[in-house]
Amino acid sequence: MTTLQFLADGFAVAFQWQNLLFAFVGVIIGTAVGVLPGIGPMSGVALLIPVTATLTSGLPTEAAAASSIILLAGVYYGAMYGGSTTSILLNTPGESSSVVTTLDGYQMAKQGRAGSALAIAAIGSFCAGIIALLGLVLLAKPLSSIALKFGPAEYFSLMLLGLAAVSGLAGRSITKALIMTVLGLMIGTIGIDAVSGIERFTFGQPTLFSGIEFLTIAVGLFALGEVFKTILEKDNDDGQIAKINRVFPTKQDFKDSMVPIARGSFLGFFIGVLPGAGATLASFFSYITEKKFSKTPEQFGKGHIAGVAGPESANNAASGGAMIPLLTLGIPGSGTTAILMGALIMYNIQPGPLLFDEHPEVAWGLIASMFIGNLMLLILNMPLVRVFAKVIETPKKYLLPIIIAISFFGVYAVQYTTFDLYLLLACGILGYLFAKNDYPVAPLVLALVLGPMIENNMRRALTISNGDFSIFVSKPLSLVFLIVAVSWLLIPIFMKMRGKNVIINEEE
Amino acid sequence: MSQTFDKISSIAFFIIGILFITEATQISDSAYGSTVGPKSFPLGLGIVLILLSLRLFYETWKQAAKSKIVRNTKTSSQTTPIELKKFLILFISAIAYVFFLEIVGYVITTFIFLLIGFQTMERGKILASISISVAFSVGIYYVFSVILGGSLPSFPTF
Repeated sequence: MTTLQFLADGFAVAFQWQNLLFAFVGVIIGTAVGVLPGIGPMSGVALLIPVTATLTSGLPTEAAAASSIILLAGVYYGAMYGGSTTSILLNTPGESSSVVTTLDGYQMAKQGRAGSALAIAAIGSFCAGIIALLGLVLLAKPLSSIALKFGPAEYFSLMLLGLAAVSGLAGRSITKALIMTVLGLMIGTIGIDAVSGIERFTFGQPTLFSGIEFLTIAVGLFALGEVFKTILEKDNDDGQIAKINRVFPTKQDFKDSMVPIARGSFLGFFIGVLPGAGATLASFFSYITEKKFSKTPEQFGKGHIAGVAGPESANNAASGGAMIPLLTLGIPGSGTTAILMGALIMYNIQPGPLLFDEHPEVAWGLIASMFIGNLMLLILNMPLVRVFAKVIETPKKYLLPIIIAISFFGVYAVQYTTFDLYLLLACGILGYLFAKNDYPVAPLVLALVLGPMIENNMRRALTISNGDFSIFVSKPLSLVFLIVAVSWLLIPIFMKMRGKNVIINEEE
Repeated sequence: MSQTFDKISSIAFFIIGILFITEATQISDSAYGSTVGPKSFPLGLGIVLILLSLRLFYETWKQAAKSKIVRNTKTSSQTTPIELKKFLILFISAIAYVFFLEIVGYVITTFIFLLIGFQTMERGKILASISISVAFSVGIYYVFSVILGGSLPSFPTF
């Protein structure tokens, strides 16, 4: 078993004292980054690239690359975990992949079960990390060859399926959800077109050339929208600030979340492997799956533990799975992995099919360190759950202005323009109005992320077929994705027409 | 109340759809290569949005007719916006914050914004407000700019 040998070598690298330290610092900073709304894994990783470069400057190139990628990856999955903390405690997703966690996590916090939710999220993330690691070790090669066979048509249909699923999931009215989806796709078209290089909807404004940053929209709609709502509708119900009564989940919670964790881990891993479909999609899919499989789907959105366990496991597994296309094919599956790729290239190490042969130290060291990092996260976060929970006990009069200030800082630190801050404020107002009137915001954000990829894959597919749209239905996999997507939207409508009560999740 | 919003928004989305289509038609075609240029996707989106906004308008109109008999009890948003003044003060000071951020620098603007924010939310405890504002603005600046080597507008440029 050469794979095992390589893995053992990887662990030897990961257990070097400086790499243990790097992994530790990485997950700590990552968790903090994830907890702060507005600074997601992407900006956290990007900010730390210069820092790691300074820290590792004394080491030989390959060791330096291994160390810094270990730290950056630690930030990545640390933030995955940290994001869930704010989702559960503040209803403010720290990053897009924990958006769905707000649906049930925040409800659990309101009911005083925040401790359970956070602990299950930590346990789920850990299990998912291990499953993703095993998957990475065993399936790296066969899986990448399957994913290689996906053409643009398949990706296009798969992403449409993702959007359809999310639109069908959120809000009371599918029409409103679809409108939000289309709006998100529209915002995604702003900027310079990646295929032709032609500017679209920029009105000659240079700030718009690079498009509208997903971070600004997401922070504005979610974080500021919520802040504005709290300021405007001074709600005095004390149930909102929930205390953590017990950190360890009850036996019932354990029982209810074991299967979702396992399911979420596998689902998340496989979704993470597909380039372009990352942790966000994985968590959305996991939520939908859990809701479909659950015996009590009506409990979802009201604080069902499976609604936290599944998506949280899925997004962590996906961040592990996302490493496969990055490491084996050299294709980053998400924004964050794209930044990780940039960091590797900085050290003159090209991710791709040759990586495992040329730099096994980096590839396997990273894989092994992910296992150690996940273990650190679990050990750190179980006792620290209460520390993070203190955040919510901050008096609102301090918390609200500070959230505004943090959002401003987060957006400004990434974008360096005041334009994005004005946009942020506008999105805050829109977010408040949308949420108040049952317009789900999540589909808009997801559409904004997927929009450019959907368009590019659509155009690539149509270029292959010479403009013939039948390519999307003539490819069997693509056809299957499309059929599922359409039925996801139509089945609830038919059920409504037949007078059945359709359970739909609410945004909050 | 929310039906008024739905009506207005369906009209707004309709207008956005039309504007989007008109703007999309003005995008220049790519010189060569694909039959589907940079135009097609936005055009399609505009059409879909118009169709959806029409459907939303129809749904709202139908629902309005229905709810004349049964009032929709779900509109919990009937609470009077008592806090409008607070919100406006915070919002305007946030705009001022953004405006002065690159002129006066991060530390001072953040400090002033937070102080105004804290005092608007609840009068009194001026000392606590000042110390938290200072700690936050200086702390973030120090950690981000000095330790992590990020870039923030530091202090007045003049």
